[in-house]
Amino acid sequence: MSHTHNPGDGGAGERHAAPMVEEITDFEVLEIAVRELAIEHGLFTAEDHRRFTEWAESVGPAAGSRLVAKAWIDPAFKARVMEDAVKACKEIGIDWAEPTGFGTPSDYMNLRVLEDTPTLHHVIVCTLCSCYPRPLLGMSPEWYRTTNYRRRLVRWPREVLAEFGLVLPPEVEIRVEDSNQKCRFMVLPVRPEGTENWTEKRLAEIVTRDCMIGVALPRPGRTADVHPVQKAGRPVQR
Amino acid sequence: MSVKSDVDPGRIALLETMRNTEKTWDTLAPQYGVTNPDPPWKTSLVAMCDCLDVSGALPGLERRHAEDELADSVYRDVPAPERQLLALAHIMLGRGLISEDDLASRMRAVRSRLETA
Repeated sequence: MSHTHNPGDGGAGERHAAPMVEEITDFEVLEIAVRELAIEHGLFTAEDHRRFTEWAESVGPAAGSRLVAKAWIDPAFKARVMEDAVKACKEIGIDWAEPTGFGTPSDYMNLRVLEDTPTLHHVIVCTLCSCYPRPLLGMSPEWYRTTNYRRRLVRWPREVLAEFGLVLPPEVEIRVEDSNQKCRFMVLPVRPEGTENWTEKRLAEIVTRDCMIGVALPRPGRTADVHPVQKAGRPVQR
Repeated sequence: MSVKSDVDPGRIALLETMRNTEKTWDTLAPQYGVTNPDPPWKTSLVAMCDCLDVSGALPGLERRHAEDELADSVYRDVPAPERQLLALAHIMLGRGLISEDDLASRMRAVRSRLETA
């Protein structure tokens, strides 16, 4: 449902508010109730919750896209990324120490960027839980958290990538990098053909979240992820 | 891979009352023409998990292992992120971090507050 607001501008214009779910669900109520009780019981403070909420809302894959695009056009920056990715992130405005001064328990300040080549493709996973480079990519997509993806990718990487629509030729080696409690990974894909002379900003637009996880490849004209991950119990037969 | 946790997989009456409401975001959002893939409370939920981790009240790895178990059993038919929320409440109740009576009471109070706003 949408509302039309007339903000007293004498009819010179009207604003259309974005539609919103206009009912209070038990889930909304549950989240608030659990949080309030946790704060009252001293499990954490309201101030901490506000700080982490603001941080969570501030991170997203755009930062990773900027890092990749900059690395593509600036070899010196790429070298710094490969040498010390956390330090290089500061050059694009990402501080892994946020929001606590020492990162979060889920975002250890240790990042390795995995550089693809025409014959080597990386893809990341966390078989243990759902570790993810949140300062650069934001919150992980739900499929990344599923046991379906986590269990099957390490067993049948080529087949699982095919389920994402990424069919790699046999001569391309696939390397699955398993995140862990001490290290985060992100993929630096190969710059695609047809992007010569593109600006950094334009390049960043085709570096989607899935490209940096490794379940898609950047290509001109593709600026959004679609992820029709299957729930099949077996890999597709190819 | 999934690691065995100490979570109690028994059903919790209060949370069971919520599973069949058909009020999950993936159902409601299209009805209202909302395209945001996540409900407004999702970020707050993520922050709550981070806070519990930082404070040591509920370490993230233990929560994730328990969440995996519950996602594959008790809340298998509930979509995300509602499943994550129910699992968190389930884990906190199971560990005695909050009580079911307190939670039920607080939920009534919160709903009343929101409905009169």
